[in-house]
Amino acid sequence: MKLKAFTPLIFSAGLFCAGSAGAQTNPITADTIIQRVTRVMNPAQSKGKMKMTITTTSKKTRTFVYLAYAKNHGEKTLMKYLEPSRVKGQAILMLNNADDIWVYFPRTRRVRKLATHAKKQKMEGSDFSYEDMGAGDAFIDEFESRLLGEEKKQGKLCYELELTRKPKSTSGYSKLVMWVDKESFVPLVIDYYHDDDSTLLEKELVCGNIEIIDDIPTPMQVVMYNKLDRTQTSMELVEVSYKVDLEDDLFTERGMKK
Amino acid sequence: MRKFLCTCLLFLLLSVPLDAQELDIFGYFEPQFNLIYLDDNYYQLQSNKLRVDLKSNLGENLEFGANFDWIVYHGKREWNYWNFIPERVTSRYSSARMWRYRFTFDDRSFLDNAYLRFSFPSFDLMVGKQQISLGTGYAWNPTDIFNVKDLSDPTYEQPGHNAIRVDWPLRAGFSLLALYSPESDWESSGKLLRLKGRWQHFDFSITGTETEWGVTDYEYPFVNLFTSHKRRLLGGDFAGELLGLGVWGETAYNFVGDFEDFWELLIGGDYTFDSELYLMLEFYHHSLAKSDYRDYGLNDWLRFFYQEQKSLTRDQVYCLIQYPLTDLLKIGGSTLLSLSDGSIALVPTVLYSFHENIEFTLIGNINIGKEGKAYGSSQGHSLLLRSLVYF
Repeated sequence: MKLKAFTPLIFSAGLFCAGSAGAQTNPITADTIIQRVTRVMNPAQSKGKMKMTITTTSKKTRTFVYLAYAKNHGEKTLMKYLEPSRVKGQAILMLNNADDIWVYFPRTRRVRKLATHAKKQKMEGSDFSYEDMGAGDAFIDEFESRLLGEEKKQGKLCYELELTRKPKSTSGYSKLVMWVDKESFVPLVIDYYHDDDSTLLEKELVCGNIEIIDDIPTPMQVVMYNKLDRTQTSMELVEVSYKVDLEDDLFTERGMKK
Repeated sequence: MRKFLCTCLLFLLLSVPLDAQELDIFGYFEPQFNLIYLDDNYYQLQSNKLRVDLKSNLGENLEFGANFDWIVYHGKREWNYWNFIPERVTSRYSSARMWRYRFTFDDRSFLDNAYLRFSFPSFDLMVGKQQISLGTGYAWNPTDIFNVKDLSDPTYEQPGHNAIRVDWPLRAGFSLLALYSPESDWESSGKLLRLKGRWQHFDFSITGTETEWGVTDYEYPFVNLFTSHKRRLLGGDFAGELLGLGVWGETAYNFVGDFEDFWELLIGGDYTFDSELYLMLEFYHHSLAKSDYRDYGLNDWLRFFYQEQKSLTRDQVYCLIQYPLTDLLKIGGSTLLSLSDGSIALVPTVLYSFHENIEFTLIGNINIGKEGKAYGSSQGHSLLLRSLVYF
């Protein structure tokens, strides 16, 4: 089972794609766009520090800081919490494009394997579920894509795409609508529609503050708005590096505990 | 052995340049208020626990970790297990023996964990007092002979054990764990070997353990007669997914020298609904426990209370339900059902996140089984309010 949603863990846009759309002589297809989005979302390797701020319905905030590592274009990811103290040392390991997920609890030194259904759970009460945090080629495997047209978002001309869930997909979203920057192939806005009602907007993800890091354009802030619960979670990229050489041993149970 | 470990630890700490040591200090403060209803009386027991954790990377491949706990109790600190045992059982004995089953919540301060972890390219070596967590079960772990979980709060941290542990990552996702928990001699020390692997989306492991198992004869005249038996365990566990459900299982056969052999089995499954309602079910069998509640004797009750035996009743089910009522408030509860005697305990829970590092937990414990059964009225009822302040 592939994951279905967006990957804000370490989100980047490869320069190799920049400007390539303009060089197309034939009209670009929805499948080509989504393949490029998938490629730019998953750099070969990355290491970063993220700050996640949850704004609850009562307008209280909860802030988490974690280290995130990714390898093999997001096929392997590891998150280690640094703050707050309550979750310090807790780690989440996702392998095989998040088909396999393990959570490590330092207080009991236990590693628990999560089944697919657990990915629906909110991660630390945020508006991102475990599956939202997964990486891989979910947009290709789980959805049929259709180019709706072009529209400006954040002052940039974007492709507007509609992604409809494939019949055998286990995605928790019935439909996605995505606005992809024509220059960088960064999806600037993604609308997530409810599992049971393809007209009901459930969440909206907005990427902003794009900076060039290690020659790769990177959104330094990503905000997920939960339209039903009226809550939001923002992710700020505190540090990131793509020029890293991460060992496979990091993405193991042993690596989680270190 | 302990002195040797402490000396090694001190030596290593002092031998590393100070600028290489960044000592991380964290932990929590945990005040608890417990209201207990027993024999038509209400009792109060409070505790205040302070846990301070230390962690330092002494070098690139060397980690030091430790925690110290201080716990002080207030209120009704002196109890007697005799009062929790059904009258049908206690009436067979003279009440003069009651003193043998007293226990007191004494203030404690102790070093719970203190260990060094050396990370070599091909293996990890961990030396010192450390937590040992084995098995995939939530409420019970048949393959874990080091710990017994509190069924009203199975995820609470377990105490540290003095041990030397080596973890070898092998090829193709396999790993080997070897553990030695020293006691007074080699014969009485705990030894463990565990091979862990992965097949498709399943994790599995095979475990072999040898240790001494202490069993007490509480029915013996005048004193509690303690005997020790060689216990060899062969078991295994798995965790994965089947038909969309999370599934796991654990089993262990125990060869007990001059005592009765026994085996344990645990099968569990869970599911999260779209509404985020979480449901978990576990079945547990303990062949040494009795299947008819009329056979529960004084030894059965007390060995269960003193955690010498994991279960009083042979077959039981643990059911857990959790639902996030709001983004900060989680409600739910667990149910313990003895299939052998039909008794039930309800454990409602409420968890509120007051602040990033402050949590409030309310845990009830209502035994609604008939007198004399595993979760019968003789166990009383309780309500626990816990706050946790992390720093």
